[in-house]
Amino acid sequence: MRIRENHKGYFFIFPAFLFLVGILGFPAIAAVLQSFNLIWVKNPSFSTASYHRLLSDVEFLATLGNTVIFVGLVVGFHLIIGLGVALLLNLEIRSRHFFRVIAILPWTVPDVIGGLIWRFMFDTLPGMINAMLLQFAIISDPIDWLGHPKLAFGCLIFAETWRGYPFAMLILLAGLQAIPKEQYEAAEIDGASKFKSFIYITLPNLKYMVIIAAVLDTIWESRLFGMIYSMTGGGPGYSSQVLSLLTYKHYFLFFNTSYAGAIAVVLAIFMFTISIPYLVMTMKRE
Amino acid sequence: MVVKKSLFWAFVYAALVFMLFFNLIPFFWMTSSSLKSDYEVIDYPPTILPEKVTFGAYTRMWSQEQFFRYFINSIIVSSSTAFLSSLVGVFAAYGFSRFFFWGRTSLMTIFLASQMIPGVLLVGPYFKLLSYVELYDTLTGLILSQTTITLPFSIWMLKGYVDTVSDEIDQAAMVDGASRLRICLSIVLPNILPGLVATIIFAFLLSWGDLLWALCLISDQTKQTMTLGITQLVGQFRVQWSEIMAATVIVTIVPATLYLLLQRYLIKGFTEGAVKQ
Amino acid sequence: MKKLHIKLAHFLMLALALLFFTHSVAIAESVTISYSDWQLAQDIWGRSLREAIAEFERMNPDIKVKTEPIALGQRDVKFTTAIRGGKGPDVFALDANPVKQYIKEGWVKDLTPFIEKTGDSEWLADFYPVSLMPVTEDGKTYGIPKNVVAMVLVYNSEMFKKAGIQSPPKTWKEFRDIAKKLTIDTDGDGKIDQWGATLVLAKACFDLRFSVVLRGHGGDFLTADWEHSNLNSPEAKEAFNMVADMILKDKSMPPGVAQVDCNGARRLMAHKKVGMIFGTMWTITEVAGMNPDLHGWKVLEMAPVPQQEGSQSKIRSTLYQKSLFMNPNTKHPEAAWKLIEFLTAKKQMEKWFVDNNMLSCRKSVNDGFGPILQSKYAAIVTEEIDQHAAFLPLMPKWPECLETFRQSLQAAVAGTKEPDQALMDAHNQIEAILGR
Repeated sequence: MRIRENHKGYFFIFPAFLFLVGILGFPAIAAVLQSFNLIWVKNPSFSTASYHRLLSDVEFLATLGNTVIFVGLVVGFHLIIGLGVALLLNLEIRSRHFFRVIAILPWTVPDVIGGLIWRFMFDTLPGMINAMLLQFAIISDPIDWLGHPKLAFGCLIFAETWRGYPFAMLILLAGLQAIPKEQYEAAEIDGASKFKSFIYITLPNLKYMVIIAAVLDTIWESRLFGMIYSMTGGGPGYSSQVLSLLTYKHYFLFFNTSYAGAIAVVLAIFMFTISIPYLVMTMKRE
Repeated sequence: MVVKKSLFWAFVYAALVFMLFFNLIPFFWMTSSSLKSDYEVIDYPPTILPEKVTFGAYTRMWSQEQFFRYFINSIIVSSSTAFLSSLVGVFAAYGFSRFFFWGRTSLMTIFLASQMIPGVLLVGPYFKLLSYVELYDTLTGLILSQTTITLPFSIWMLKGYVDTVSDEIDQAAMVDGASRLRICLSIVLPNILPGLVATIIFAFLLSWGDLLWALCLISDQTKQTMTLGITQLVGQFRVQWSEIMAATVIVTIVPATLYLLLQRYLIKGFTEGAVKQ
Repeated sequence: MKKLHIKLAHFLMLALALLFFTHSVAIAESVTISYSDWQLAQDIWGRSLREAIAEFERMNPDIKVKTEPIALGQRDVKFTTAIRGGKGPDVFALDANPVKQYIKEGWVKDLTPFIEKTGDSEWLADFYPVSLMPVTEDGKTYGIPKNVVAMVLVYNSEMFKKAGIQSPPKTWKEFRDIAKKLTIDTDGDGKIDQWGATLVLAKACFDLRFSVVLRGHGGDFLTADWEHSNLNSPEAKEAFNMVADMILKDKSMPPGVAQVDCNGARRLMAHKKVGMIFGTMWTITEVAGMNPDLHGWKVLEMAPVPQQEGSQSKIRSTLYQKSLFMNPNTKHPEAAWKLIEFLTAKKQMEKWFVDNNMLSCRKSVNDGFGPILQSKYAAIVTEEIDQHAAFLPLMPKWPECLETFRQSLQAAVAGTKEPDQALMDAHNQIEAILGR
């Protein structure tokens, strides 16, 4: 009984399928159904009331905007810094092992703890940032970093850029390692400058790794919760709140399970929409 | 030409040093805080270096707080997750990369989309599922749940790397009579070693930093993970900053060490050697 | 041959008897129940609770108690997920806030039958009537009150003396003036490093401490029937504006006050950075413990929350209560009830005070126990509990209303909205929430 060659693929993806669709599928569908008020409520009936409420909820709309800005900036910074550092670490320096370990350190901090630490660092009175700025006489009064809406949001973006860029760096470094040396050697023989070989050899070879890093990072940052929760808690007010936090609030603090489901669905759609152009690009290749 | 070259290297080293400071400043603050007394750590104006170095936070942590057990639990859970996630991921990545079966694109999309629902909503139903199969409050249940979270990322990462290995190698091996499974494990895998190592580290770190699942799926205190243990230092009455910092220092040493040990596999030379065999 | 048969029969009977004996012993073997409480994670409280539990296990050799500490901020996440999923700790503690939600969702067991079984029709009479409010619904009792305190003003009497202030503020005008007087530069370097007071504006513990400002002004978050927002009252406006002015105009609160939570407030008090905060019994224990140089037990004094001149309102303070509940999924309700009964019994209530400086929900203990009668702090707080304090609204929608209000206050303090505008917005949003 010869199996059609292509059908062998099913065997390879089966374990993953079991985990993801079998185990995760049920809760995911349950969450969607809950947002339409169809299950686990006292009087199940199809209702888009939760979604209607979203449209007129000022806090939700502001949070949505925050999420877009947060994800956009953080992922952008991650890619730029990640690529830069990956290029540095790809060079044949003697101490590169040492620097490679340093490079990944921010990412080894669990995101909840990272949030706590940065909150402590930006703390107005006992925090390190103010301590250093005061010490070097750059400012004369402590700055209330986390007390001003836009400043707090900015600090959050900075902290998450710090914490997450090794992720992009790691993916890109491994990708850089996969570029055949011969291509560079050929270019050197042809007399191309380092800059030119970067543009015409490195970048095209890295294209798909950059896309994968971008897609994964976008999803990851859209879901980010612990860091934001411990660092600003979404505040002051809801100026640094993102959708994942809002979902948590409504689900665990206010017990509005159906509304929380609706917010989560919107978040999922948001993530999906951003990933589509990249998905299309990677699929087109095949 | 020589000047250009040395300018280039000067720039490179300057950039590396800058990166060093950028990365390490919070760690410096963590370590410095962990060595301060409970009073000094929250004083104003704050001190940058401890006025009096004290290891009290570390000793208190290890003796009082069962942190050694949490540490072991975290190591077990994260290593198992990393291993399982990468193994299942490699198979799935290979399957998506080499085979074009019906539903391939949809499944790939579903796999990616499966992580777009926030954990907050998933943890409740997942809990019910685990208690149904009697895996609630077990490390195994936690490992399974964390494998599930890390899997989509693992698959997508690995697929990218598997794609860089040409299909012709597969075909050549099949002519020699090798089975697909054999090709996947003995030929493709060694070729994507850098990517695989990156994925393993990645899955390990994701699991290492998880809070929500460890919180909800474990109730026995002796089975808790370290991350969970650290957040419990934020109590109703006191936030024990020096202990939090001390615990965090230790928590970050493990992944850093892991990376140190594994990073030579990220070097290209090693892979080329494997292929030649 | 026959002898062998008989020997075998004897042996079998012996074996069966042995089996039966060990089986019945096994039946009488211990039952294990779990107890989860965030105070198990704390130094002093944790030790105190564990000592009590050890005593309980000695008195009940067939019951073993597994303690499960949990962080306060993670409590509801963990409990609700577990109870929804059919599991969870057999006995657990909650403060007053989420109880009504837990009752509504059926996450706590009705304890009325257990109370009836004690045969004592006056069993509940020893508890303050106000303590029974959060744990009772439709005439059924769902939890047993354990400890209760009321919020008061805590001030540093040494700082007062240095600034020439004779007595604690009785009115909000005095409060504001004293705060201004105490905001000084203590070491002559031109920078202010001591402030008059601090509030708590961060999420943790905001409700307890801010509510006294509102109530002291004679206002409240909601109307008495909990149906409408009361934030459009002139009293609420005054309170809101006073806080905003103290922070933005007087600058008598430390920078970064928008991020200060209860720990931060205590920390500032311990390090002599502020002269007044709102707190209660545990404040003294914690602040004194944070800094021995402060000599907290001598220097820290309490006074009732200030009120408006000529205010008619009797309620000026807020109650905080911790009660014990039983999991509806529990497999050992009798053992769980024994534990709840034990931990809320008179003897243990006395222990909670001696170990942790916490007042009891039992009238007889607060009114009769020697050490409590001698404590200067207890005198003030018990008076407040008895006469001048009330709970925050005990209803499922409350957490959402509270969060809305807090966000508005933060916006006003951050300067992104005018205080009056922020207050009106909060009022409208709370109306919308209540109307749903």
